[in-house]
Amino acid sequence: MPLSDDTALLDGTTAGAQAPDVAVRLEPAGVTVTVPAGSLLEDAISKAGLRVALPCGGQGRCGRCVVQVKEGSVRRRSTVRLGAEQIEEGYALACQTLVNSDAVVLLIDAEPRQERIVGGDLADKVARESVPCDRRRAPVVSAYRVVVPPPDMADNTPDFERLQREMALQYGIRRITPSLTALARLPESLRNGEWTVTAVIEQRDPDVALALDPTDSAGSYRLLDVFPGDQPPRLYGAAIDIGTTTVVAYLTDLATGEVVDGLSAYNDQIARGEDVISRIIYGKQLARRVELRERVVGTMNGLLDEMLSRKRLTRDDILAVVVAGNTTMTHLFLGLDPANIRLEPYVGAAGKFPLVPASTLSLHVHPEALVDCMPAVGAYVGGDITAGALISGMTEGEEIALFLDIGTNGEMVLGNNEWLISCACSAGPGFEGAGASSGMRAVRGAIEEVWIDPVTFEPTVTTIGGDVPRGICGSGMISLMGELMMTGIINKSGRISPDIPTKRIREGHNGLEYVVVWADDTATGERDIILDDTDIINLLRAKAAIYAGAAVLCESVGLSITDVDRVLIGGSFGKHIDVEKAIQIGLLPDLPWDRFSYLGNTSLQGAYHALVCRTCRAEIEDIASKMTYLELSADNRFMDAFTSALFLPHTDESLFPSVQQSLEARKQGVSAV
Amino acid sequence: MAVPEVKEKYAGRIQEVTLGAGSRGKTVAIGGESTLPFLHFEGTVANRPAIAIEVSDREPDDWSPLLKEAWGDVMGDPAKWAAKAEELGADVIALSLDSAHPERGNTGADDARKTVRKVLEATTLPLIVYGPGQKDKDNEVLVAAAEEAKGERIAIGNAEEKNYRTIVAAALANDQVVIAKSPMDVNLAKQLNVLIGDMGIPKDRIIMDPTTGALGYGVEYSYSVMERVRLAALGGDATLQQPMVLTVGYEAWRTKEARTNDEVPQEWGDWAQRAILWEANTAITLVNTGANLLVLRHPQSVALVRKAIDRLMAGA
Repeated sequence: MPLSDDTALLDGTTAGAQAPDVAVRLEPAGVTVTVPAGSLLEDAISKAGLRVALPCGGQGRCGRCVVQVKEGSVRRRSTVRLGAEQIEEGYALACQTLVNSDAVVLLIDAEPRQERIVGGDLADKVARESVPCDRRRAPVVSAYRVVVPPPDMADNTPDFERLQREMALQYGIRRITPSLTALARLPESLRNGEWTVTAVIEQRDPDVALALDPTDSAGSYRLLDVFPGDQPPRLYGAAIDIGTTTVVAYLTDLATGEVVDGLSAYNDQIARGEDVISRIIYGKQLARRVELRERVVGTMNGLLDEMLSRKRLTRDDILAVVVAGNTTMTHLFLGLDPANIRLEPYVGAAGKFPLVPASTLSLHVHPEALVDCMPAVGAYVGGDITAGALISGMTEGEEIALFLDIGTNGEMVLGNNEWLISCACSAGPGFEGAGASSGMRAVRGAIEEVWIDPVTFEPTVTTIGGDVPRGICGSGMISLMGELMMTGIINKSGRISPDIPTKRIREGHNGLEYVVVWADDTATGERDIILDDTDIINLLRAKAAIYAGAAVLCESVGLSITDVDRVLIGGSFGKHIDVEKAIQIGLLPDLPWDRFSYLGNTSLQGAYHALVCRTCRAEIEDIASKMTYLELSADNRFMDAFTSALFLPHTDESLFPSVQQSLEARKQGVSAV
Repeated sequence: MAVPEVKEKYAGRIQEVTLGAGSRGKTVAIGGESTLPFLHFEGTVANRPAIAIEVSDREPDDWSPLLKEAWGDVMGDPAKWAAKAEELGADVIALSLDSAHPERGNTGADDARKTVRKVLEATTLPLIVYGPGQKDKDNEVLVAAAEEAKGERIAIGNAEEKNYRTIVAAALANDQVVIAKSPMDVNLAKQLNVLIGDMGIPKDRIIMDPTTGALGYGVEYSYSVMERVRLAALGGDATLQQPMVLTVGYEAWRTKEARTNDEVPQEWGDWAQRAILWEANTAITLVNTGANLLVLRHPQSVALVRKAIDRLMAGA
């Protein structure tokens, strides 16, 4: 059946007439949905419970939601990043294409909604030695077996007070308050259990000093739930990192401290803007803030539900939740208005947030579980950084450490055991794999390393999990940029040179592009994996923002960036970040490699530690109180530092002597060939 | 009490660039100084700032009537215009191949060659040749100009970050000088010099144009950018040591104050005097922050600027 681009029909409503329904069959899933004619393909796909990637928020800019219309009539509102030939073959952007008739549509490279966390992020990273915590000693929630003497006419103390009395006698735990759920269950549990119950007790520490000694029984206790008998209940907790681009969660057994499952998904708020600023603008009206809240809670619940079902657990088994997110994400999650974060003088509603019952937030966990959001330091330095700073171990010694969290927002902390100063800059989603032609998250099939032959300009790639390539993740982007620069395929301002003799450089829809993997060698076999001029400029800006932020932060305390003893890097780079390449492109300062450590997702690990160890939780509070915040937008040095970092590796070449040396060496090596 | 020593000793020196060779009756060297402008007591100011007069290959329809009055009929013929400019005291002729612009005539490489040849024959002065400022046409006509003027050591421009490869390659192949234009920022100026340098062109064949605004239209901003460029260069930053050229005439003559006399307050005074002073003042300001070559439009402002430079050089 021929395809037609009917431009006259059915954009919105036709006067008087109700749009007729059309049936859209979605392949390869084989699902058919019915939608009104004139609906967006993306709506039909969502209705079917399927998904296409929408990193640009459905604005038709990124071209990642491309699908192939096999049958039926559609109208394309935009064909960005599609060539005439591709349009001829039926390719269309799901977010920009209206379906006018019954249709058959093939989803290409449909990314699974959620991804299992792979590699080091799950197990080995969480037991970092630098964190003084055995992960078991002091979780927020513990279970106690209590034998309660039955009441009689001589001792008619009510059930809860009886339990209280026994907890004090048997465990020295006083000042317990009950949750309503626990009270409702207590009489039956006591009697069904023949006066032996398992009490689920939550402990919160009133201040840091007390919490630093976890054996101290002071603090406040809450009876969260109670079960008959002495079977140990299932005590689980969730640690969740709400990133602007990605949400990642751990499911943790609180009794053992073990992480039993981990999942990540794109933050569903992306449909309403790629960065925090556009989300704040979108959320100006209450109804839209409600929508943003529902979107992120939906993403979180999706992760929780999937993990619970995989582990055959129920919602009631999750008894504590710790959330780490940047200031805006935390505001939106709690339903607070983030408007003032964007406006001078940039202040949020709060830096420290109250414990909120999960039921209030509609999270799919025990309704009495309390949700603990990690404290923020400033408008753009949030709980993800205070939690991450703990994991970095930077507060433990005299050595001066620079902790960089490289994500959509590049946040950084400089300091040691005595002082901490932080700042943030907007880096864009490039290093999280979004917003680039062939970008993807650091999951299986993502290209994470690239080498380019300086003579033939042919690349060699490795992917996460050794799978057939599907796209390029953040570490792959860094590796690729470094190689392109060192081989002269791009010049020092990031432009692809048209003079290089290789068929991998060609004119694309977005300027020149370099083909990393030909379509035939990709997982889908549909589209070449490329990096184009626009992608490179975005990455260049991202790396310049991060380097400039770090340089200004150091300068603000009278240090040079080369005075830093250790550079600790957090981010969603999968297994590792290639320090050599990151220095080559000027993302990281030119220091000896042994000064760098890659820590993985520090925000998530910090949230996890706060969940399983009250000492760690208290230390995060302490870090937040200690940390100074430097507002870069009020610092006129930043723009200058940014422009000068907007070059490969840097406008001031003397800051990158090792890169200069290798460039010289390569030049001579190549001319010798 | 002894007077404290205030002399600075700089590690760096501005690169000297010479325009003109072959059949040119005159060559013009610019740059070469080892100190800030005109601090003759502190270092050497090897060459006086030079003045280029702008000549277009197409009778300009957007120039002020005052300029048309000053130049008269020669504006229709770049060769005659250049000869008259030489007569009126130019050091260099800045020939603009504006007719190559797709919307202003769309002339091609052959026309460019003819124009360049004609102008070379009409004057003994060295040449700058500017393209029309449109990427593809710049590349087309500047390559032609560089080839046609081989052996004459002309300057061709503008090479910008978005389009420099072809122009620099043409300058390299034909032994010409290239003008590197960047948008009023010390980092961007430096980056472009590095990119151009990476193509292998020697440093004595690059002039930089850091872009200026006219008096009242940002001249103070460009003044401080140029000052930073110059301080970095004298401080030893080899990538910023190129002499600077500024298109003062273009900037000054598009200000409202110079362009028109319609509906302006009476206090603004005589139009012609005001317009000429606007150009001359902008130029003299920039000479004081390191401009080595000024591209001007009005004969009278050329005379004023020359007089000012004479005085500033008097201590040399």
